[in-house]
Amino acid sequence: MAGCSIRAIWILTPHHSVAFSRTFPVVERKWRSACARDGEVATQAPFPSDLEVAAAFTDRKQREGSARGFGIRVASSTPGSDSWVDDPVTRHIITLHINREEAEGYMLWPVIVHTSGNYYILVLPLVEPKKVREYRKLYQRNNCGGSVKEHDNLSSLLLSLPCITGAFMVAHAIGDLIAGETSDPEVVATSSSSAVGGLLDTLTGSIGIGVAPRPKPTSVPILASASSASTLMGSTLVDSSRTMTKPIDKDLLRGFISGSMPYGTPVDLNQNNIAAIRTTGFGSADPPPADLRQPAWKPYLYRGRQRVLLMTQETINAALYDREDIPDSFSISGQINCRAELEGLPDVQLPLIGVKPAKVKMLSVHQSAQYSDHGEDKQAIVFSPPVGSFVLARYQVSHATNPAPVKGFYQLSLVSEDGGQFLFRLTLMEGYKSPYCMDFCTIIMPFPRRRILSVDGTPSVGTVSMTERLIEWKIVTSGRGISGKTIDATFSGTVRFHPRVVNKSLSVSLSKSVLGCTAAEDSDEERESSNNSVNVEDVLMEKLNRDLEAVDLEEPLCWQAFNYAKVSFKITGGTFSGMTIDPKSVSIYPVVKAPVEYSMQVTSGDYILWNTLARSPHAAVPKDLC
Amino acid sequence: MPLTPFTIPQIALSDQNLVLSPPSDVNLREIRRVLAFLLDRPRDLTPGAISVLTSALVDIADALEDCVPAVSALLKVNFSSLLSSHNPFLSHSILSLYRHFSEAFNEYDIGKVAYRLQLSASDTGQKLIFRLLALHWLFGSTLLTSQVSSLTSLPGFYPQVFDPLAVKAKKLDAISVSASEGDGAVSLLEDGLVCISYFRWLPGWSTETLVAFRAMHKLLIGVMPHDGSDNGPGRTRLGSLMESTIFADLENVLIHLALEHHPLVPVIATFISRLLQCETHSPIGSRFLQTLDRCLIPNLKPGYGLSFYFPLLEKISENETVAPKGVLELLKRHMVCLTDEHGPDTGHRSWSQGSRVLSICRVMLKKHKGSQIFRPLSLLLAFTCQNFPDLEVRDNARIYLRMLACIPGKKLRQTLSIGEQKSGLAPAPLPASLIDVPPHPSPDLKKSTGIASYIHLERLKPPLVKQSWFLPVQGSVPALSNGSGPAEGGIMDIVTSVAPSSPDESNKTDSSKVAYQKEASRVMDPNTALLLRVLRTHFGCIPDYRVMPGIKIRIPCLLRFESDPFIRTWGFESCDEQTLPALYAIKITFSTLSKYGKIPSCRVPFLLGDLLKSDLAIVAVGQGNDESIEHSNFAKVFLELQPEDPMPGLIDIFINANTATEQVVSGFLRPVTIGIEDMFLKAILPPNVSDMWVSRYYSDLFDTLWEACGSSVNIGRETFPLNGGKGAVSINGKQSVKFLEVPEDVLINAVERHLAGFVVRVAGASLVKVVQQNRVIENIVWDEKEEEEDDLDVGPSGDDFSAENALVAYSREESELDVEYTQAEMESNSNDRSLAIVDKKKSVGNICVLIFLPPRYHLLFLMEIGYGSTMVRMRTDHWPCLAYVDEYLEALF
Repeated sequence: MAGCSIRAIWILTPHHSVAFSRTFPVVERKWRSACARDGEVATQAPFPSDLEVAAAFTDRKQREGSARGFGIRVASSTPGSDSWVDDPVTRHIITLHINREEAEGYMLWPVIVHTSGNYYILVLPLVEPKKVREYRKLYQRNNCGGSVKEHDNLSSLLLSLPCITGAFMVAHAIGDLIAGETSDPEVVATSSSSAVGGLLDTLTGSIGIGVAPRPKPTSVPILASASSASTLMGSTLVDSSRTMTKPIDKDLLRGFISGSMPYGTPVDLNQNNIAAIRTTGFGSADPPPADLRQPAWKPYLYRGRQRVLLMTQETINAALYDREDIPDSFSISGQINCRAELEGLPDVQLPLIGVKPAKVKMLSVHQSAQYSDHGEDKQAIVFSPPVGSFVLARYQVSHATNPAPVKGFYQLSLVSEDGGQFLFRLTLMEGYKSPYCMDFCTIIMPFPRRRILSVDGTPSVGTVSMTERLIEWKIVTSGRGISGKTIDATFSGTVRFHPRVVNKSLSVSLSKSVLGCTAAEDSDEERESSNNSVNVEDVLMEKLNRDLEAVDLEEPLCWQAFNYAKVSFKITGGTFSGMTIDPKSVSIYPVVKAPVEYSMQVTSGDYILWNTLARSPHAAVPKDLC
Repeated sequence: MPLTPFTIPQIALSDQNLVLSPPSDVNLREIRRVLAFLLDRPRDLTPGAISVLTSALVDIADALEDCVPAVSALLKVNFSSLLSSHNPFLSHSILSLYRHFSEAFNEYDIGKVAYRLQLSASDTGQKLIFRLLALHWLFGSTLLTSQVSSLTSLPGFYPQVFDPLAVKAKKLDAISVSASEGDGAVSLLEDGLVCISYFRWLPGWSTETLVAFRAMHKLLIGVMPHDGSDNGPGRTRLGSLMESTIFADLENVLIHLALEHHPLVPVIATFISRLLQCETHSPIGSRFLQTLDRCLIPNLKPGYGLSFYFPLLEKISENETVAPKGVLELLKRHMVCLTDEHGPDTGHRSWSQGSRVLSICRVMLKKHKGSQIFRPLSLLLAFTCQNFPDLEVRDNARIYLRMLACIPGKKLRQTLSIGEQKSGLAPAPLPASLIDVPPHPSPDLKKSTGIASYIHLERLKPPLVKQSWFLPVQGSVPALSNGSGPAEGGIMDIVTSVAPSSPDESNKTDSSKVAYQKEASRVMDPNTALLLRVLRTHFGCIPDYRVMPGIKIRIPCLLRFESDPFIRTWGFESCDEQTLPALYAIKITFSTLSKYGKIPSCRVPFLLGDLLKSDLAIVAVGQGNDESIEHSNFAKVFLELQPEDPMPGLIDIFINANTATEQVVSGFLRPVTIGIEDMFLKAILPPNVSDMWVSRYYSDLFDTLWEACGSSVNIGRETFPLNGGKGAVSINGKQSVKFLEVPEDVLINAVERHLAGFVVRVAGASLVKVVQQNRVIENIVWDEKEEEEDDLDVGPSGDDFSAENALVAYSREESELDVEYTQAEMESNSNDRSLAIVDKKKSVGNICVLIFLPPRYHLLFLMEIGYGSTMVRMRTDHWPCLAYVDEYLEALF
């Protein structure tokens, strides 16, 4: 089956009614002929209506515990459910059972699920009927679970179906579109020190046609780039910003779908390109260059003042334990954003400095780019830039050359169930000289399951504020960034909580669904702590943990089970890894005189100070990296 | 009619499967040009277009494999670099090229691809689903998987603290795959599990826990995947897996988790049951349970905390490969503990925990063979139904106990399955209709024929006389006891009372009637009057078996069966050599031609076969082991006779039982012999005789009866009402003599051994001395003076009775028999006398023995013990017994 074709797209509201749907008769016809060829009679049934899909989705939600499902086989899983397959990917690639009263029901697989702005986006790509049969086998298997060592395992099935990956791309593109988010990365022009707009701005600016303004992305400064960092703070903190559901701009959506996937085959999912083609079309002003091959992903060429904007964005994830038995861990991921406002179709070469010392692993580059790694210090990226901002490369650093920007420890000692004493002792920006500049630094102590009554104590630096669920300590406030000096900050105090109200019904119902059994409710409270832990905190935490909810598989860990402080900061003027670009050595062919502006910023991702006095999650480090 | 472009060649539209001719050179050249054009431009295409292109290329290259060999080389040059694009769609399209043209890429290339995928899986900037997909792609191709297993790439799979749990789970999968092939499997997995190691302190439903147990499961099935086709290598793998260190380490992990973190116990139970439900891996699950039974159960303490372990205990109980003993004993201790700790505020808890224990018992009943659980479970249930504080639990325990004891295994399982309830609490007691088992299937006659050779019902003490000759006699029971009509067993009805009775006489009580009869009798002389009074008192104590429960004789027997022949005949579903076959719901019915009344049938709920070394059971018998049925492999059964005629006889035994396989065993066993000595009872003591007068009473009774039997003439017409008021008897004495040529000490020993209870008097100084020294016979009358034997012979005289005057009319038969007796008696009397005189001088003393023969007869021995020989004079009111007594006396020595 050639390429990737989409049979249908549904967008469901949070209440599981279909807000938008689109089917592709051409693809459906292909499906039917494939079924006929394979002798699949059951799948000849008419395509499900929106109502049926909504019902099937609701039905699955009930069966699988949540809209996405368990993802892992649990006690209540039964053959013929996604969690039976026992793979986290079944939270994203789901099965819908279309039940018909008058005719035989059938299953729809693979249905891609993506959530965006409270909407569920379901995409059904076209796969060969025999692949569906293969999955059905896994789905209804009568043994204890699959291993990759078996034939026809889920992994080989997914590898043989690029259309699933394509469908995910479609789903994400649509998700971005309806959420009003742009996939454009942030590029800061140092000269004007303001964010630069996307392709449309470029086009409208240069061509001079007015376009209805699209909503600007609301940039969250802390959580700028890392998509996985969007749910850092535990669900309670994020929910408030997500409860609103924006109505779908259906015209925009229809335009995008018909432009990006004619006849159900995704061609170009770049919404800027599609929007530009839709608004401006191709006039006599855009003749294809005679001598050069214009790439399909660059429908328009740039015209105007030429310049190259580059930006290195690094995110530090850190787990600080301040303990002898567990080493602190840092992981740095970075990306190079680029916006090359160059006329024609030039090639750009970008030499990278400091790749080897930082042990940079180049993870991926843009489609138009090639990464060459020759010799000790001659790493460069050659690329032919598309229009607008794009992520040129993503990398990972295992050995940073700079010290940690925030060092220290956090201790919280729960004196009783309803209160505790805490102590911070931090050192900021030690070993960093100008031009490194810490724009802001905030420390948040979340207590998502407790209601804070009061906080006593004054920090040596900064201000403290408090909401019901968290304590915020602003050490460095934006606008008063620090540069070239070290700050020692201490903060000790006490925190008091409202008495705890145990919500037992929830945990019990969860335990029933996951474990498939009634836990020993009658003697739950009678538990004698058999593990002779001397630590009062551990005992208290264990007590608190009894009514914890299970987190989603998308979360890295059960945040609520721990006491920690999360550090947020932003540092400009340099990279943490030490890998940089020399703007002067950027070469463009054919040679044009274009200024290269380069900016760097480091932000914190999961920068966690674990409570030194209690248990904390950690990971083993491979021995050869120790 | 579909619309088709004009340019499509006709051949493509035709439905026939045309055989296409191979492309010509011109065609090939064109194709090459097209391919070259396309292959030159991948960088200019959008990801979607590249996807279409790659799949088209795959099709074309497949079709033209022979004609255009260079395609794959070109692919490598033009597409490889696109793999590192951060558009996953693009990467996937390129990967599919690798899959199809794997021969074009060497190991280095493949290694690079694997590395690339590993990197994108750890790319935190990438969306979660694409990280997951990258891992799937990596394991989807055997080519790439082989690269993963090399240890160099493993560090990339170590989960990071902030990896989403889904990624952690998939990375752990990767480690499991590699680990299952390498040596350091579990250490690798342990390293991997560190990132979620805190699951130990989280509740069992936490996602971390799920991920951790999933990883352990993946490790197991990684070592031994399901292979539907071939079982052969799978089985051998199973063995090697269970011996491996991976397995031992995992077992340790589980035991540790269960001991230290009891919230995880349900999770462990779920984990194991998942393995158990799988055809391939159920042996592993069973093995885990066995290990837990061995290593965890002994470490658990009874008490309220034990409830955490119930899910695991349930799993262990459900599993047939684990001996239930450990769990049941733990539960017994738990119940004892619950009972001990019961207080005013533990009512609900006692109920809840007790119910859960019972639900485990119920599982045991359903899943295990009765032979394995019978003893510990019955102890547990017995304790519970007697002592447990909660009423409902007690009741349910009682029901289970009865079910255990009364319903054979398979049927019990069916019965318990009927009321299957989902709740974890003990189910409500089943209605009686459910317990009523359906009608038995017809017994297998062929198999049942030989059961007498291995199922035995034997007397605890075999009879002294191995009699067999009485068999024909059984058909011709002496006419005395065979009398039809009113004279049943020699008892005559008093209903035709000729006495001047008032109309309300019949309403009076038994005792008043007896008193009335006393008054009515006529007294001949003081001596006879005394005689009659004693006799009336005595007979007044003997129950009339026709109207009230008669005197019963209980003969202890042992029921047992041999395991070996039983298994050969009936088969036995057991994998365990130690397990013995069992019979359930055994019903033994007795029948006999002798007049023993209706012998009640016996029921034995459950019986294990003999140990395969069968003599063990016999040793137990020999020792007179008095334990109850649960304690050894035989059942004690009492034959309860109510003789109407004190004769030896044979009792036929019919057995009906179920096997564990729900077959019906039924058939006759070897008959049991009843000897005359089984009939020997002590005479009934009237209630008003005080303890100190007992020996005197018996002695007097002996004398009286001796006289009565010796001279039937005197009182032959006299009738003696029995207890019950409806019947009366007369005495028709008969005497005999037996000369025993044995030394006196031997005789004394034999008497002491067999007749001690019946001796009423010992006379003669020397004899008294000897017998008293032996201290076997006590509480009798010691008569130290030399005895005048003739005194005894003098019976009360007087023949004033006539048939008309008698209270009870004699039947004709009775009268006829009278005559016979008299003749026989005279003969024996003459013998008697002559012999007695011969021996008189040598006598060392006499022993008087009074034996009561149910229902109402007597046997009297007067043993005149001499030096070297003994004369036994016998008198009885039941002459047929004399024949057997003769043999009996011989058999004494």
